[in-house]
Amino acid sequence: MELFVEFLKNTGYYLADIRYILMICVGILFCFLATAKKYEPLLLLPIGFGIIIGNIPFFRGFGLGIYENNSVLHYLYFGVTSGVYPSIVFLGLGAMTDFSSMLARPKLMLLGAAAQMGIYFTLLSAMALGFAPKEAASVAIIGGADGPTSIFLTAKLAPHLIGPIAIAAYSYMALIPIIQPPIMRFLTSRKERLIRMPDTERLISRKELLCFPIVGVILCCFLAPASIPLLGPFFFGNFMKESRVVDRLAKTASTAVIDTATIFLGFTVGASTQADVFLTVKSLGIFLLGAVAFSIATASGVLFAKIMNIFLKEKINPLLGAAGVSAVPGSAREVHLVGLKEDPGNYLLMHAMACNASGVIGSAICAGVLWSFMMR
Amino acid sequence: MLGLEAISAHNGWAMALTGTIIVMGGLSILAFIISQLHKIIGLFEKKKKAPPRFGPAAADIDALKDLETAARIYRPLTAELGERFLLADLYRLFEKENLPHPHLTISALRDADYLVPLGEGLFNWKKPD
Repeated sequence: MELFVEFLKNTGYYLADIRYILMICVGILFCFLATAKKYEPLLLLPIGFGIIIGNIPFFRGFGLGIYENNSVLHYLYFGVTSGVYPSIVFLGLGAMTDFSSMLARPKLMLLGAAAQMGIYFTLLSAMALGFAPKEAASVAIIGGADGPTSIFLTAKLAPHLIGPIAIAAYSYMALIPIIQPPIMRFLTSRKERLIRMPDTERLISRKELLCFPIVGVILCCFLAPASIPLLGPFFFGNFMKESRVVDRLAKTASTAVIDTATIFLGFTVGASTQADVFLTVKSLGIFLLGAVAFSIATASGVLFAKIMNIFLKEKINPLLGAAGVSAVPGSAREVHLVGLKEDPGNYLLMHAMACNASGVIGSAICAGVLWSFMMR
Repeated sequence: MLGLEAISAHNGWAMALTGTIIVMGGLSILAFIISQLHKIIGLFEKKKKAPPRFGPAAADIDALKDLETAARIYRPLTAELGERFLLADLYRLFEKENLPHPHLTISALRDADYLVPLGEGLFNWKKPD
């Protein structure tokens, strides 16, 4: 009988408290959003299930938890804390990205840069709220709206915050259809939303597509060497794709490799949200600041497009500024849909993809810059 | 420490300003370079421009009237593009070789299934019967 009672005391049912139940409910909510609402299912499903797994209570010292040495989850989590998974994800992203729309419309790259202002605004806000500089930089990068970049920088600067930052970053990416459209509509007039982009961009040759990853990696990585772990694989993946001589490698990078990394990244990040380390006031602050970062990033892209229009003869649709955040392709799709609502014949998708692609590069540069600032 | 005092103490203003300048400057330079990339590539291509290799035979046929002959004569043109190619590259090649109405020809070849889509924007020639 005593043995049975001891056993019962070691079960999750006995060890659970309200915090674990709450987190498991969050995990179930993520799984629901992924499966029923199809909100970013590739991210929310592994994260949601990871949250459920990570919040099953257990007794310490048995090598079970993600924060316990030698546990299986701990080894899988190494890919997150070391920054390996984000690099692999970037390799696959590069192999999936078609830069031709960006190469045909280089001026739209500036919107990808402008949308990064959310990062620096949040950096200041987080510092003002009492976050240490390294923590503030990790929180700020949520404004880049790029999950792997957020995880990478946080792993380097504030590993104890990976859970809340990753959850915040991915949650806001999934909530793009809810967050971005009101900001876009608030900051633009109907007349501006009706602006049609010219369809006369030149065709991009194969040589240009081949040269771009080399030019890009040299320029960006010389400027911010700390972004090499992200932009190096990113441009390498793209070069493999555009070279068309290693189709097998490019295809593997853009399918099996990125999928494997995404599974383990999402699952272990979810599992890292153990209630006892996740449910803190700091996490709440991170979520609030993440929302601010994301909103400011969207707004600064839109406002910068309006400023550009003052100087441009051929006006650009300011909605495109919202696609400067690097949530690919969610924000581009949202810009396209908002544009279509105003004018069913206004197709902004390819233009928005140009901003999106430059946003990915911009947020990776920002991560490198912040990392190098904090290492001083 | 909180508020503006915390920002100043952690050198936040300088970080934000410098970071902004770096990312704006970096992407602006990249945008400028890629806007000139085709011109730089064009310079190299001009240097090694050879006379049209397919001369009268390819240039004289009316591809729109005889697609089968056109496909047979144009096929060797794409050897340098590889077995799979983008229509944009094919268009450029047709233009380079001064072939008549390249856009219409490619469109007609596509409609008549002489150019077979492989997905992801790539095409190859229909295998000979």
